Amino acid sequence: MATKRIGRRVNGTTVYLLLAVGGLVSIAPYLMTLNAAFKPQSTLLSTQAWTPAVPATWSNFTQLWQQYDMSGFIVHTTIVAGVITIGQLVFTTMAAYAFARLDFPGREPLFWAFIAMMMVPQIVTLIPLFLIMSHLQLIDTYRALILPYVFGTPYGIFLVRQYFQTIPADLEAAARIDGAGTWAILRRIMLPLSKPILATLATITFVNTWNSLLWPLMATSSERDEVVTVGVAALQGQFASELHILLPAAAVALLPLVAIFLLFQRHIVRSIALTGLK
Amino acid sequence: MSANIAEAATSAPVATGSRARSRRTRTAFEAYLLLAPSLFGFLAFLVAPVVIVFVLSLFSWNLITSPQFVGLANYRRMFTDSQSWHALLNTAYYVLLNIPLQTVLALLLALALNRKMRGSKFFRVIFVLPWMAMPVALGVIWNWFFDPRSGIIDHFISMLGFTGPNWLTSTTWAMPVIASVNVWQYTGYTMLFLLAGLQAIPQQVYEAAAIDGTNALQRFFRITLPLLRPSMFFVLVTNIIGSFQQFDTVYVMTQGGPGQSTTTMNYYIYQQAFQLFHAGYAATLSILLFAVILLVTIVQFRYFRKRTIYDFS
Repeated sequence: MATKRIGRRVNGTTVYLLLAVGGLVSIAPYLMTLNAAFKPQSTLLSTQAWTPAVPATWSNFTQLWQQYDMSGFIVHTTIVAGVITIGQLVFTTMAAYAFARLDFPGREPLFWAFIAMMMVPQIVTLIPLFLIMSHLQLIDTYRALILPYVFGTPYGIFLVRQYFQTIPADLEAAARIDGAGTWAILRRIMLPLSKPILATLATITFVNTWNSLLWPLMATSSERDEVVTVGVAALQGQFASELHILLPAAAVALLPLVAIFLLFQRHIVRSIALTGLK
Repeated sequence: MSANIAEAATSAPVATGSRARSRRTRTAFEAYLLLAPSLFGFLAFLVAPVVIVFVLSLFSWNLITSPQFVGLANYRRMFTDSQSWHALLNTAYYVLLNIPLQTVLALLLALALNRKMRGSKFFRVIFVLPWMAMPVALGVIWNWFFDPRSGIIDHFISMLGFTGPNWLTSTTWAMPVIASVNVWQYTGYTMLFLLAGLQAIPQQVYEAAAIDGTNALQRFFRITLPLLRPSMFFVLVTNIIGSFQQFDTVYVMTQGGPGQSTTTMNYYIYQQAFQLFHAGYAATLSILLFAVILLVTIVQFRYFRKRTIYDFS
């Protein structure tokens, strides 16, 4: 009995050690980048890469902002990601409700068509999208960045539909007897009960849009609508060896999402995992 | 389902056929009204592009002047273009470098977290943080870490008494470095799904097995792994589809080099379309990538379906 308990304690220590190492590796790049952003250029390599930024200096950020329109990039990205996220939340909820709860002709084949499209790699659609957008003369506008993704994705619809199906149908039946229409049910019953999944969808959408490079790279070419990913990639090309410019830019690109995530993490960590199950 | 209940409730007292029918028509009308925006987006920006890509693969197009019909020339070119096979092999190599490593690490972490312990919520939050990092920014950071001779990684290696290679200018090491970005980014995220799968395994199964005198290793291979298959299936399918589409880190860190050693399919397609202006050929290559992803996904479906009792509805 006693040896068993000791064995379990040793086991517990190993587990904590494994988790601690994993945790450290997970946050180290964030912490090191944040730290480096406040250090002078000469201290970013070899032995000095580890040293803390004491005293911290804002001069890297001043230089970055002088040479580059970082504020513009952030504003553009926030607009694009914000509009797409709001659009997806609204339209996905509507579509998911129809698929989950309403009985209409063509529901099954349509749903499976959506699912089948989940396997199409993004690049397949991008060259045709470029063709479509240049025909509509929308290349190099916000609309080119927003339109293809604002109406929702099959993945999002699948996610929310699965969640709606777990909500007991009796609630709606009762509301319908009381004379509530579909729109009222959606707003007063489904939405309040679906906060975790909607927070998850919002996060996934915002993160994906904020981080996406390929389509903005194809669809934009001027400073008036360029987004953070394109800007940081261009910086890397231009100032490849000037880490005191690059690392603050990377920090600025990374940290807004971390902040948003920490705000919503209670909902998200739980329901990200749920999305993997049926 | 609920609509039926509601329908029965309202129309039961005066059950006439025409009222039920008009009720059904109204529901269908409402459903398509709710679906309209998504359906428009689906048709205009997903279905139409997929149709267009097949048409475009029969044309030669430089993105500016109007496309010219060339028949199957792009396909013939694809099969004789050694660079396209090279890009496909590079992509497969990239997938093989990161999927097994990331899945095994994620499983280890999930097993470690699958117990009643202090701080498990905290660890889960920490492990998901890499998932939301911008790959472009990670490319910048990894360039810094792997800076030859004076980067943190080489510095660490020299502390151990060795000399590190020139990571990103080495045809041997550039791809593993790029794969390491992905492993770092997705291990924790993958762990969350596997952990949810582990927590869904009923405790009684383990208790029964323990009474039968099995050891921990047997329980892992005979109970845990088989019952984890649904989660494993989901994780592998989605991660592999994602990995086949590597672009961002390659674009920022190596531009496909040195030589062609990190030119993935997505990067090669981008090059063909937007640097060499062979958009028709690029469309053909993207169909090849689609076909490969489809094939790999079907193989996984077949493998897992034979071995899993799992309801996909």
